[in-house]
Amino acid sequence: MARDLTVGQFLPGHAIMHRLDPRTKILLTFFFIIQVFLAKSTVSLCFLIILLFLFIFFARLSAGKVFRAVRPMIPVIVFTALINIFYVPGDSVLHFAFLHITKQGLFTGFTLFVRLTVLIVGCSLITYTTSLNALAAGLEQLLSPLAHLRVPVSELSMTLTITLRFLPSLSDEFEQIVDAQKSRGAFFDQGSPIRRIKSYFPVLIPLFMSAFRRAFELANAIECRCYHGGKGRTKMNTLHFAGRDIAAFLVFTALFFLTIIFNFI
Amino acid sequence: MAIIELKHVHYAYGVGTSFEKQALNNISFSVDPGDFLAIVGHTGSGKSTLIRHLNGLLRPDSGQVFIHGKDLWSQMKDRRSVRFQIGLVFQYPETQLFEDTVGKDIAFGPKNMGLNEQEVKQRVQEALAFVGLDASYLERNPFRLSGGEMRRVAIAGVLAMRPSVLVLDEPTAGLDFDGRALILQQLEQFRIKSGAAIILVTHNMDDIAEHAQRVIVLHEGRMVLSGTTASVFSEADILKQCGLDVPQITRVLIKLKERGLPVRTDAITLEAAEREILKLFREGG
Ligand SMILES: Nc1ncnc2c1ncn2[C@@H]1O[C@H](COP(=O)(O)OP(=O)(O)OP(=O)(O)O)[C@@H](O)[C@H]1O
Ligand SMILES: [Mg+2]
Repeated sequence: MARDLTVGQFLPGHAIMHRLDPRTKILLTFFFIIQVFLAKSTVSLCFLIILLFLFIFFARLSAGKVFRAVRPMIPVIVFTALINIFYVPGDSVLHFAFLHITKQGLFTGFTLFVRLTVLIVGCSLITYTTSLNALAAGLEQLLSPLAHLRVPVSELSMTLTITLRFLPSLSDEFEQIVDAQKSRGAFFDQGSPIRRIKSYFPVLIPLFMSAFRRAFELANAIECRCYHGGKGRTKMNTLHFAGRDIAAFLVFTALFFLTIIFNFI
Repeated sequence: MAIIELKHVHYAYGVGTSFEKQALNNISFSVDPGDFLAIVGHTGSGKSTLIRHLNGLLRPDSGQVFIHGKDLWSQMKDRRSVRFQIGLVFQYPETQLFEDTVGKDIAFGPKNMGLNEQEVKQRVQEALAFVGLDASYLERNPFRLSGGEMRRVAIAGVLAMRPSVLVLDEPTAGLDFDGRALILQQLEQFRIKSGAAIILVTHNMDDIAEHAQRVIVLHEGRMVLSGTTASVFSEADILKQCGLDVPQITRVLIKLKERGLPVRTDAITLEAAEREILKLFREGG
């Protein structure tokens, strides 16, 4: 259980992928997503797969583990791919009652499977190599121009940072309360759906109580430190683009065009 | 026969990640009916991890846990029933209350045992009496009680299952001196009246000096000391290395001895220390 990676878990390290600026990684992840949707031919899809392995290598992660973490999502991917197999019109290969399987359908289904897998694995890399706090800081800086449009970016980022800070505490507390109620003989995941939902009351009620208590305490603590809105707040660790970030952008641009060129081979 | 027996238990968190942490390393001990055992250790020494193994919440990576002589993980089909025999009270148990009346909350455990209404009612009243609260509390809202009262209600919730071993993780944390003494005294009464064993997890040495018969000292997941309370407290140096202290009175006696006065340093209760010091005056005078 705890032995496998979970998507979204941060694994501290010092590989290149870890040291890139979070802003770079966020932007490049978007780049990569667009790239995945632009790749149409077999060659460019193969190219993407090779790229993915290179990224995993540069993050110093084990490819097996990274792919295994996606396993829970495979049913969804396969389902999406299957639907396409049956719905794309074209030259019939097999047909069975009202179901037609076409050549084009098989191709679309297969490429969709590859694309979704590559997409999920690619996006999971940023979470393995970037702490949530770094991600939040990067996002805040990227969104800061929106402040001119009266979007409360610094308040949003404060909220996001606080949420990220308290998620692990809440999840620890959740486990602790589950253990405590199990120790009194509670059982979960048994019986009818209504019974199951009811069986979580003894956990959810204390959890909400404690979340509210924390929220009040935190609000008091923040007020005691004279916080009034995030305007003009400075950071202890400011983000700086380094040479490697510029290099990464250049490499990605080149790869982007390569993918498009491979579409025509 | 021992109620609980642990043999060479090992447990690690986060195996295979960079967070890997060997939380328990080769732990073996046993608990007999009526025992009062204390498990002490600095923060992060593995105490809470250890007690989660006693009722099957965690499964050891290697080693065995026997309950009444049966291997919990290979010979027992109904692991849930173990939870009624080994009652676990977690740190700050008051945060786990959830019902709208004290009576209903205490009844949660007995109801899960499948007892009939009459029996449940009787056990709730009995448990409430054990923690020193009267029947007027039954209909009160647990969230409107004081912190100390809430904690006692939560402990009653486990007592109501009539466990043959009661395990408590820092039951006195955050209470004042009187509150601490009261809870410990009530636990001791429960042990004597019901014949159950008590395992008390703490890092407050003064808590266990009065009541515990045996002490296990954990340090970074290993058992570094184990024995009678007096023998463990006589190892002041090892305790210090583990970030622990001897009880205040023992510290007084050790200081007296360092000044060359003929006192015995294995006195751990207040009365014994008093006797030792009075003896000094008699001999001196
Ligand atoms: N869920 C978890 N995941 C990973 N590591 C954990 C987890 N729970 C505990 N640990 C680690 O295992 C070690 C033992 O923790 P444990 O909670 O058993 O200590 P403890 O003796 O109860 O400490 P305290 O006196 O602070 O309650 C600690 O180093 C802790 O960081
Ligand atoms: Mg603990």
